[in-house]
Amino acid sequence: MFRTIHTAAAPDLPWKATTKDQVRVYVWEWPIRFSHWVMVITIVSLSITGYYMHAPYVSARGHEAYVMGWMRFVHILSAFALMLGMLVRLVWFFIGNKWANWNQFIPTSKKRLKGFVAVGKYYGFMAWKPVSYIGHNPVAGFAYLVIYAMVITEILTGFALFSFVVGSPTLTFLIGWLPRLINIQYLREIHFFIMFGFWMFFIHHIYTAILVSIEEQSGLMDSIFSGFKYVPEDHLAHDLAETEGSEEAAREAAALSASSHKPAA
Amino acid sequence: MSDLDQVALRDVLAARGISRRQFVKFCSLMTATLALPPRYVHAVVKALDKSTKPVLVWLEFQDCAGNSESMLRSGHPSVGDFVLDLLSWEYHELIMAGSGHHAEAALDRVVNECKGEYICVVEGAIPMQDGGVYCTIGGKTALDIATRVCSNAAINIAVGACALDGGLVRSSPNPTGALGLSEAVPGVPNLINLGGCPHNPVNTAAVLVHYLTFHELPELDEYRRPLFAYGNLIHDQCERRAHYDAGRFVEEWGDEGARKGWCLYKMGCKGPEANYNCPSVQWNGSTSWPVKAGHGCIACASPRFWDTKSPFYDRLPKVPGFGVDVKAEEIGWIGTAAVGGAMIAQVVGNIIRDNIKPKDTDDHSHPPVN
Repeated sequence: MFRTIHTAAAPDLPWKATTKDQVRVYVWEWPIRFSHWVMVITIVSLSITGYYMHAPYVSARGHEAYVMGWMRFVHILSAFALMLGMLVRLVWFFIGNKWANWNQFIPTSKKRLKGFVAVGKYYGFMAWKPVSYIGHNPVAGFAYLVIYAMVITEILTGFALFSFVVGSPTLTFLIGWLPRLINIQYLREIHFFIMFGFWMFFIHHIYTAILVSIEEQSGLMDSIFSGFKYVPEDHLAHDLAETEGSEEAAREAAALSASSHKPAA
Repeated sequence: MSDLDQVALRDVLAARGISRRQFVKFCSLMTATLALPPRYVHAVVKALDKSTKPVLVWLEFQDCAGNSESMLRSGHPSVGDFVLDLLSWEYHELIMAGSGHHAEAALDRVVNECKGEYICVVEGAIPMQDGGVYCTIGGKTALDIATRVCSNAAINIAVGACALDGGLVRSSPNPTGALGLSEAVPGVPNLINLGGCPHNPVNTAAVLVHYLTFHELPELDEYRRPLFAYGNLIHDQCERRAHYDAGRFVEEWGDEGARKGWCLYKMGCKGPEANYNCPSVQWNGSTSWPVKAGHGCIACASPRFWDTKSPFYDRLPKVPGFGVDVKAEEIGWIGTAAVGGAMIAQVVGNIIRDNIKPKDTDDHSHPPVN
């Protein structure tokens, strides 16, 4: 049924590849989707409020105005939500499925490194077709690693700035080493500058998501809502072969998974 | 003990035209500055009355004498008036009558005869480069004098930004290799830092009064600054804070907001990143302080403030390695626009690629490598 819906939903446009025989694979587990959307929402609210805190762009009207107060309230609240999202993602690096594992983000194996070059060639217009991956491709994985590092940097610098305002001994004990290492003004600058990094990434991320959605017809855009991607059967078999070790076992597993994922017609 | 020491403090003060009432008011100010409960006023008055005038020496190195001036000209009766009578000031280049060998002999006498008993106040930075030749007094380098005098003192008080960490003298490029007292002479006994450009004389007097009353230093923070003076954010004590929370800001000097006393945040006020009791103690007999006078805080009491808190009229420091006048914001916007442009180029490129793609290309995307 899903397969029918998916193939039917794929518009018959001249620049698109025809959708092949696909199976539905549960790629993104709920904690991954949860942390993704928490990050999206909080980075948007943190950017809007944070930019205001850097350069107040709304002028207050009336005697009961509390613009900066609200901006700071939302900023701090969002910051704690972002930290929660990042925490969930960090945990899922280790207990999630194979596509969520930490090794998808650091191209250490020879295969991932080769894939890194292959994907780079596609984006450099040196290949006709994209290289398909069920999870993240090595370039994307690495980009997300950078993003996670940026989120963690924002959390650390943010806490250092927050500890300055709150003056809590516990918080100062936990993060006080950072302002001693880097002056508070430069922490503020880093905290502000990384926001633009998120904006750059945001533009690029939307673009690649749409591009890959169109080129691969894998339901990539839908997958961040539902968790399911649509993958050609042989791709899944190939992928499973990697996990299981033998092609034969993989074929069996693929057949099994294909039948279990395809609801009865 | 000399004859002078026998004279009661109240008589000395009366001789200077300072009434008992003014003296008790001074004790109240000290108690309040130290953040002690009002019942301690009595203890302070009693302790100061009985004070046996401990010896104090005030050393000046690479300085502008601004801290001495701040101490002596803070109002009438100035904090200095009281402190000068509470302590026996044996050496202070700016105000002492003696000069040359006589002056040096006075300092030597203190170090030799009052070893471990006198109070040493240090003002100014200490140059370390080229054997410390950039500041010498009576043929001795500042470092030699500081090492000898400070090491033998009961307590050492570093007043002003220069004595705290080198201040203006140490700011980039620091040609004389200047350092603050704690770094130039590591391990000086009972050091207490009173940063600020200049130091606030009320705080310095409060430290002295605390020492005379309780015979110990007040509680210190990680930079050895007293918590009563450096424990709170300026921003949290600022009288313009309500305008900050409301979102009313001065946009340019002399505009409506500036005339109405709105928040100076957008003019680069460093109040949100500076710890000091400036807004509560204030200056010139508690008349005013920078923000009250309409100028943003420059965080003069913060460590290395000349280098780390400038530009004083911008929120954030300049980005290193990007020329003189480039802001993080400009780099950020240009970078974001560049990425946006690159993505548009990619879209165009992809449409062209899909259109010129040879027909025999496998419709199926390549199988995954992993």
